[in-house]
Amino acid sequence: MRLAVALSLLLAATAGAVEPGAPAPGFRLPTFDSQQPISLADYRGKVVLVDFWASWCSPCRQSLPLYAKLREHYAAADFAIIAIGLDEDVADGKTFLAEHPIAYTTVQNPQGDIAKAFDLKGMPSSYLIDRDGIVRARHVGFTPADIDVLKKEIDGLVAKHAP
Amino acid sequence: MVWSPNMHRSLLLLIAVATLAGCATSPVQPWQRGRLARWDMRWDADPLRAAMDAHTYFSKEGTTGAIGAAGGGCGCN
Repeated sequence: MRLAVALSLLLAATAGAVEPGAPAPGFRLPTFDSQQPISLADYRGKVVLVDFWASWCSPCRQSLPLYAKLREHYAAADFAIIAIGLDEDVADGKTFLAEHPIAYTTVQNPQGDIAKAFDLKGMPSSYLIDRDGIVRARHVGFTPADIDVLKKEIDGLVAKHAP
Repeated sequence: MVWSPNMHRSLLLLIAVATLAGCATSPVQPWQRGRLARWDMRWDADPLRAAMDAHTYFSKEGTTGAIGAAGGGCGCN
């Protein structure tokens, strides 16, 4: 009985979280500069790193330039990064991007509904999605050492052929 | 209608239950902490003011250890 209660509590606590092995929730969001909507479905067939950031999140300031280098490292591979800015005031995100230009796709989600769909557990959070749109790894928080872990994960996913 | 003790109890219960509803707010999500992260939301948003407050407090409460220092001094600095 106790075990059943504990299990149900655990299930309730993890309900909705996007775990590795689950399909990534789809989204269609405008970019910061051109307002052109970007859809995750457009990236099917590529390995995608979806990164949630905000201008007020200090580890994000550290992660964004390192992700830019990561993208350069995989420039020849089927790999893309989509950064989702979660500033409630879009102007804050724009100011941040003017100070720290980012070369990869950056979209905005001031309502936070996509963050809710992914059920973020902390900031920043990133999700590595395979060619079939399945989440294969989740990283909560950021330290520079995460880049090496990500490289190993990306190498494994890029090596797999497209469906 | 006559006011009875039972009605009194029912009213109290109703107020108690209505007050409980105030606890039903959802917690702040990780992506909603932009305002909380603002500098002026800190306890010590003004470092000079915080240092002055700490000095006053230390001077007054030095004998009891004040803000982390060992107690037992004269508290007269």
